[in-house]
Amino acid sequence: MKRKLLTFLGCALLSGMVQAGGFQVNLQGQKQIGMGHTGTGLALDEASVFFNPGAMSHLRQNGFQLGASAIISKIAYLETAPGNTTAKSDNPTGTPFAAYGVFGKEESNLRFGLGVYTPFGSSVKWGEEWIGRYGLNELSLQAIFIQPTVSYKIGDKIGIGAGVVYSTGGVNLQRSIPVQDQQGNDGHAELDGNASGWGYNAGIYFKPSDKFSVGLTYRSKVEMKVDDGDATFRVASSLASRFPNTSFEATLPLPSNITLGLGFMPSEDLTIAVDVQRVNWSAYDKLRFDYGAAVNGSTFTESARNYEDVFIYRLGAEYKVTDAFALRAGGYYDNTPVQEGYLTPETPDANAIGISGGLGYAISENFQIDASFLYISKEERTDLSNLSGGIGGTYKTNVYIPGLAVSYKF
Amino acid sequence: MKKYFKTSGLAVLAAAAFLTACDPEIDAPEISKGDADFTRYVAIGNSLTAGFGDGGLYRESQLNSFPNILAGQFKLAGGGEFTQPLFSEDQKNGSGYLKLTGFTAGGSPIITRIPADAERPNTPALPGGKALTKYTDPVNNLGVPGMSVKGSATPLFGAINPYFERLLEPNEVGTKSYQQVIGESNPTFFTCWLGNIDVLTYATSGGVASPANPFSGITDQPTFNAVYNSMITNLVKNGAKGVVATIPNVTLIPFFTTVTVPLVRAAANNAPLYITTDTGVREADSNDLILLTTQAAIGRPDNVGGNTIPHGFHPANALTDAEVLDKAEVGEIKDATIAFNNIIISAANANNLAIFDVNAFFQSIQPVDGKAVLVVNTVNYTPAFISGNLFSLDGVHLTPRGYALVANEFIKVINTKYNAKIPTVNVNAYNAVLFP
Repeated sequence: MKRKLLTFLGCALLSGMVQAGGFQVNLQGQKQIGMGHTGTGLALDEASVFFNPGAMSHLRQNGFQLGASAIISKIAYLETAPGNTTAKSDNPTGTPFAAYGVFGKEESNLRFGLGVYTPFGSSVKWGEEWIGRYGLNELSLQAIFIQPTVSYKIGDKIGIGAGVVYSTGGVNLQRSIPVQDQQGNDGHAELDGNASGWGYNAGIYFKPSDKFSVGLTYRSKVEMKVDDGDATFRVASSLASRFPNTSFEATLPLPSNITLGLGFMPSEDLTIAVDVQRVNWSAYDKLRFDYGAAVNGSTFTESARNYEDVFIYRLGAEYKVTDAFALRAGGYYDNTPVQEGYLTPETPDANAIGISGGLGYAISENFQIDASFLYISKEERTDLSNLSGGIGGTYKTNVYIPGLAVSYKF
Repeated sequence: MKKYFKTSGLAVLAAAAFLTACDPEIDAPEISKGDADFTRYVAIGNSLTAGFGDGGLYRESQLNSFPNILAGQFKLAGGGEFTQPLFSEDQKNGSGYLKLTGFTAGGSPIITRIPADAERPNTPALPGGKALTKYTDPVNNLGVPGMSVKGSATPLFGAINPYFERLLEPNEVGTKSYQQVIGESNPTFFTCWLGNIDVLTYATSGGVASPANPFSGITDQPTFNAVYNSMITNLVKNGAKGVVATIPNVTLIPFFTTVTVPLVRAAANNAPLYITTDTGVREADSNDLILLTTQAAIGRPDNVGGNTIPHGFHPANALTDAEVLDKAEVGEIKDATIAFNNIIISAANANNLAIFDVNAFFQSIQPVDGKAVLVVNTVNYTPAFISGNLFSLDGVHLTPRGYALVANEFIKVINTKYNAKIPTVNVNAYNAVLFP
C-alpha cells in the first residue's frame, strides 16, 4: 500500500496540470470541488489548510486526507481568417493532488496542519507539426506547495491561522526554431528547469451562529525562480555555434489571492457556500528567459504577458441525504486574466464556466470517500496575439475533471 | 470481482465516448468562389510564376510555385485540375539549382550548384541556355523563366529561351509567340505577373545590355504598353476574371542589397571602392548596388601591369560595369519600373481586374529599425539574404515559404475584389532556406 501510494505520488509529481484562469488550478479539495470550489467561509474538512487556515481550528476531529483529480483537457484551434488551418492539442492528462493533515489535542484551541497541494500548473501539448510550432510545441509547469500551518481558536466563534508555503516545481518549454536542415526538419529548443519559491497563506474564520459563517483568506504571491535551468537546442549543424546549449534563468510569479467566503446552514442537512476570489494576476507582466550564453545572437528572450487582476465567483451546496451520504453541486465563473492581444498557445485562456457535482460517503466513523466531477467550458476566443508573440487565431477549450479523495479521522 | 471489472470496463468505455463527444469544436469558416470562376485557372508569367527558385527550375520548386499553391486553394471553391510542366521524378533536378553547403570562417554562405539532369542530349544549346526535356501537353501554369513582355510578342523567343522552347511542339519553335499561347489558353480565371524581366535582365547584368541580345536592355515603354494591353484584352475576351501583379523595384531584393558598398569598405579598413560606370571609373558610394554574384570577385588579387592589385580597391582595377548597378542605372530601372507598373495598373483598371501590387507589398515589409515588419506565427520575414526566410539562394526568387506568402497575398486580393472566401494556406507547411 505504501509503495503504491508512493508510486501514485510520483506519477502526480511527474505529470502536469492544466490551467484554469491563467494557470491557477482550482482543485484543492474533493468536497469543495463538488461545491464549485467554495469553502473559504466553511470549516468543512482538512482542506481548510488551503481554503482558510483560520477555519482549521474549528474542525472537530483530527484527520488526514489524500485526494487527486484527473484533468482531461482538449483545446481546438482555428487559424486567423482568411486562413482555415486547424489544430487540436494533445494534452497529457494532468493529475494534481492535495494531501492534508490536521492534528490537535481535543481540549486545546491550537491546531497544527500540513498541506501538500498543487495550486498552479499547466500542461499543454500542441506537437511539432502544428501551424504555431514556432511559438510552442509543449509546455508543462508545476508548482507543489508544502504548507505547515498553525490555527488558533479565539473563543467559540473566531479562528485565525497561517502557514508558510514552500513551493517546489519546474518548467519545461519546447518549441520549434524556424531554421530548417537539409531534410526540412525544424530546429528545436527545450528549456527545462526546477523552480522554487516561498510564500504564505493566512486566514480568519468567524462563525457568529449555527446558520452562518464567514471567512477571509490571503495567499501571498510566490516567485518561482529557475536558477540553473538547461537550455538545449537542436539545429542544422552549420548553425550549431549560434545555438549553444547553455543555462537559463527565469522567474514565474504565482499571483497572490484574496478570497471572501460565506457559509449558510439553513438546516442541519444543507450547507450553501459563496466565495468571491480576487487573483492578482497583474504580477505576471512578462515571460523572460536569460541565457548563460548568447542564443542566436541574443542573451535573452522576452515576451509581454500583462495579465490583469480578475475575480472568480463561486457558488456551491452540500445536502446530507443521510448521515453517511452527501450530495454536492456548484459552479463558478472565472474571468480570464489574459487581455486582448495577449493570447498565447501556452495558456489559450478565456472566460470560463465551471459546473461541478460530487458525493461523499462515510464507510465508517473514521473512513470517508469523496468524489467529484468538474466540467469547465471556456468561451471560444479569437485573438490576434499580436502583443504577446503568441499564435493568433480562435481557441476553444473544454476540460473534464473527475476526482477522488479518501480521508481518515481520529 | 470479475463482474466489478466488467462493469468498470463498460463505465470507462462510456466515459471515453462521452468525452470524445464533448470535444471542443470551432465552426469551420465558409468557403466560396464569390463572383469568380476557377474552373480553368491559367497562370501567366515568368520565373516567379513557374516556381523558379535557388537559381533553377526543378521539380520541387515547381511543386511549390505560387500558382500551384493557389490552384490547391481554388479547388476548395470549385476550381479545376491544374497542370504544370513538371520535370519528372527521374529528372527532378531540372535545370539544376543552388544549395547551401556551409559557411566560411567569416560567416559568408558557401553555395554549390546541383547539376541539371533535364538537359536534352544531342541538342544544340539555345542562346538562352541548354535545351531541356520537352513538356508539350497542355498546361495551366504558363510561367516561363526569362519571359518578358517584349519577348512574349515575338515567335523568335521560342528558339531563344529553353523554358519556352520545352513547352512548344517542334514545329512551333520559332513560329509561335508566347502571346499566341496565351491567346489559346482560354482561362476562366488567370493570374498575370509579367514585366519583371523587362527590367531585371538589365539589372542583373549590372546595367550592361548585350548588343547581341535584343532582350537584354530595358524594354521601351511604347512596346511594353502595346503588348501588355493587347495581352490583357486577349485574356479577358471570354469574360475571364483575374489578378495582375506589379513589378517590385530592384532595390527591394537581396541580389542588389546584400553586398553593400559600406559593408565592403568596412571589411577592408574603410578603403575606397572603385567602380566602372558608363562615364568612367569613380569611387563607389552607398547608392551604387553591388550584385550578389560580384561578392567573390571583390578583393581578388589581380595582376595589373606587373603589380598585384585587389579587385575594386584601385582605379586601375575597379569593379567592372557588369559587376555593379551604379546609381544612374538604378535610377533608369526605377523610372522604368514605375512606368511599367503604371501601365499594368491602368490595364487592370480598364478591364476591372484585381491588382496585387507586389512592389507596394515588398516596400511594406522592409524592416524598420532593423526589426521585421512581416511576422507570421512568430516567424520574421524580411528581404534579407538567407536569414530573411523569403528569398531563395539566388537572391531574386523566393523560397517555397516566400511563394506561399505571395500566394496568400494573391488570395487576399482575390477575396476582396471578387467577394470570394478562399482560405489562405499555412505558410509554415512550406520550406524556407535549408541549412546544412
